[in-house]
Amino acid sequence: MNGAGRGLSLLAGGVYALILAPVVVVVALAFSADNFIVFPPSGFSLRWFRALAGNAPLLAALGVSVQVACAVTLLSLVIGVPAALALAKGRFRFREALTGFFLAPLLLPTLITGLALLLFFTRLRLTATLPGLALGHMTVTVPFVIRMMTTAFATLPHDIEAAAATLGAAPWRVLRRVTLPLALPGVIACACLSFLLSFDETVISLFLSGPRAATLPVEMVHYVEGRTDPLIAALSVVLIIFTLIVVVAVERLVGVARAVSK
Amino acid sequence: MTGYLELTGLHKRYGESIAVHDVSLAIGKGEAVALLGPSGCGKTTTLRMLAGLVDPDRGTIRVDGADITRLPAHRRNMGYVFQSYALFPHLSVARNIGFGLEERGVARGDITRRVGDALALVHLAGLERRRPRELSGGQQQRVALARALVVHPSVLLLDESLSNLDAKLRDAMRHEIRSIQKSLDITTLFVTHDQVEALTMCDRIAVMHRGRIAQIGTPEDIYERPAARFVAEFVGRANALAATRDGGGIRIWGAAQPMNDPGWPSFDILIRPQRMRLLPSAEPTGDAMRVEGRVLRRAFVGDRVEVLVEGPGGQLTVELPSGGTLPEEGTAIAVAWRPQDNLIFPPDAA
Ligand SMILES: Nc1ncnc2c1ncn2[C@@H]1O[C@H](COP(=O)(O)OP(=O)(O)O)[C@@H](O)[C@H]1O
Ligand SMILES: [Mg+2]
Repeated sequence: MNGAGRGLSLLAGGVYALILAPVVVVVALAFSADNFIVFPPSGFSLRWFRALAGNAPLLAALGVSVQVACAVTLLSLVIGVPAALALAKGRFRFREALTGFFLAPLLLPTLITGLALLLFFTRLRLTATLPGLALGHMTVTVPFVIRMMTTAFATLPHDIEAAAATLGAAPWRVLRRVTLPLALPGVIACACLSFLLSFDETVISLFLSGPRAATLPVEMVHYVEGRTDPLIAALSVVLIIFTLIVVVAVERLVGVARAVSK
Repeated sequence: MTGYLELTGLHKRYGESIAVHDVSLAIGKGEAVALLGPSGCGKTTTLRMLAGLVDPDRGTIRVDGADITRLPAHRRNMGYVFQSYALFPHLSVARNIGFGLEERGVARGDITRRVGDALALVHLAGLERRRPRELSGGQQQRVALARALVVHPSVLLLDESLSNLDAKLRDAMRHEIRSIQKSLDITTLFVTHDQVEALTMCDRIAVMHRGRIAQIGTPEDIYERPAARFVAEFVGRANALAATRDGGGIRIWGAAQPMNDPGWPSFDILIRPQRMRLLPSAEPTGDAMRVEGRVLRRAFVGDRVEVLVEGPGGQLTVELPSGGTLPEEGTAIAVAWRPQDNLIFPPDAA
C-alpha cells in the first residue's frame, strides 16, 4: 500500500469511528446498572432489559409498529410491483411523465409530507389510526418500491421474455415463469427495505400518531422527553440487533436468489 | 412464386428511418434461406416480424397458406434462436429445452423423452441438470437450438447464431446446423452478415441492403451473377476498375480492351481477384482483358497469395494459389482476365 492509500484508509477509519462512536456509547449504557444516564456507567447489569420487558406502553407501540410495517410492506408490493411492471414494459402515452410523477414523493421532505397528510387525514378522520399510519408510510415506500422494481424489470436479460413468447408462452405465462422469477431478488429486497423504512419512520408518524395509535419511534421520542434513564438505550440495542438480522437476511436471500437466477 | 413461408411487402419504419422496405420472399418447405446483409440493413427486424415480436406497418406473412400477420408470437409455432441465445438463467438445461413443451401441455414423460432426444441431437446428453451459466458459448448455442427445435416448429429462425463463437467452433457448428436442418427437413431462415455462412449453409441467399432485398438466388447465382454492384462487392471480393470510352473502344488504365460497349459514358468493371492472372509484361494475351502495372506488395495468406498491383488507374489485387513462382516486388507486370469474368453494372446502381 502506498502513502496516499494509507492516508485514505486512516481517514475512512476515522470517519467510521466517528459514526460508530455513539453506537458504542448506547451499547455501554444499555447494560448500565445506574438509575440515570451516566457515562461511563458505574456498573453493569441487565436491569434495563428487564424493565423494557415490563414497559406496557413501549410494548404496545412495538405491536403497532409491527402491524403497520407488515401492512405497509404487503400493500407497497401489491401496488408498487404491478405499477413498476407497467412503467417498465407497458406501451402507453405519458409513460415518462407518470414515472416522474411516481418518484416525486421521494424528493419531498417528510416534514412537508407529514404536515400535508395531517391536514388531509383530519378531515377523513384517519389521524391516530392504523390505516392512517400505514397510508402515511406508503407515501415513502410505494415510490421506493416502484423505483427499485422499474430498474429491476428494465434490466432483465435481453430478449429473454421474447424467447419465452416464441416458445408458446402467453403474456401472463411469460410473467409468471420468466419475468417474476428473475425479478424475485428485487422483490425480496423491496419487501425487507419497505418493512425497515416503515418501522423506522418517525417524522410522518409524529404527525399522524395519537394516544391510541403510536408507533415505536414516536413512543420513544415521548419517553425521552420525560425520563432520562438507560431504558431507551436497551431498546436501541434490541432494535440494532433486529435490523442487523433483517439486513443480513436480505443479503443472504437476495444473494441466493441471484445465484439461482443467473 | 408460392412457398411454404411467404412474406409479401413487409414494411417497418422507426420514426424517420425505414428499417425494412417492402420485403417479399417465398421459401419452400424444407428449404434453408440465408438473409445476408451488412449490420443495420434490417435483417433482425425482418426476423422479429416473422416471429411476431415486432408488428409490421404493412405487408403479410403466410405459413402454409395461412395468414399469420396478426397472430401473437406465442401462437405462431416458430423456433427462434436469438443472437444472445436468451436462455432462461433460472432454469436447468433440461427445463430450458422443455419450456416450449410444458407450455403446450405435453405429458411429463413425453417431455423427458423428447428433451433427451433433443439433447442427443445437439450432442449435449448428460448436461440436463446444468445451468446455462455453467456452459460454454458453444454449448449454450446448442441448448438454444435444441430448445427451438424440440417443439417441432413450422419454421426455424436463426439470428446471427454463430457470430459469438470462435472461428473453429463456428466451422463445426455451421456443418452441424446444416445437417440437422436437412435431416429434420425444416424450413429455415438464417440471418447472417457473414458471407461464408450464407454460402455454405443455405439453399438460397437473399442479399439485403438498406431494408430492401437486393437479390435472391442460389449461392452460385449470387456469386457468379450478382444483380447489383452492392451484391458483387458484399459477397466475395472484387476489384473495381474505372472504364472510359475512347472513340468506339473501351479503355481501362489507358489500355484498349477487347469487349463490347455497354453504351454508358463511363462505368466500373468488377473482377474477382482469383479470376485474374499475372504474366510477364511482354507476353501477348490474345483476346483477354489486360492492364499493365507493377508489383507493389505480396502477401502470403497460407493456401493463397495476394499480389497488390499498382497501375496508372489505381491498385488492384490478384489472388493466386500459393506454391508457384511469384514476381518480385517492383517488377513490371501484366494482369489479364477473361471478358466473361467482367461484372458490369449501370453507373450509380449502388
Ligand atoms: N426498436 C427499434 N427502434 C428504433 N430503431 C430500430 C429498432 N430496431 C431496429 N432499428 C433500426 O432499424 C435498422 C435495422 O435494424 P436491424 O433489423 O437490427 O438490422 P440488422 O439485424 O440487419 O443489423 C437499424 O438502422 C436500426 O437502428
Ligand atoms: Mg441483427
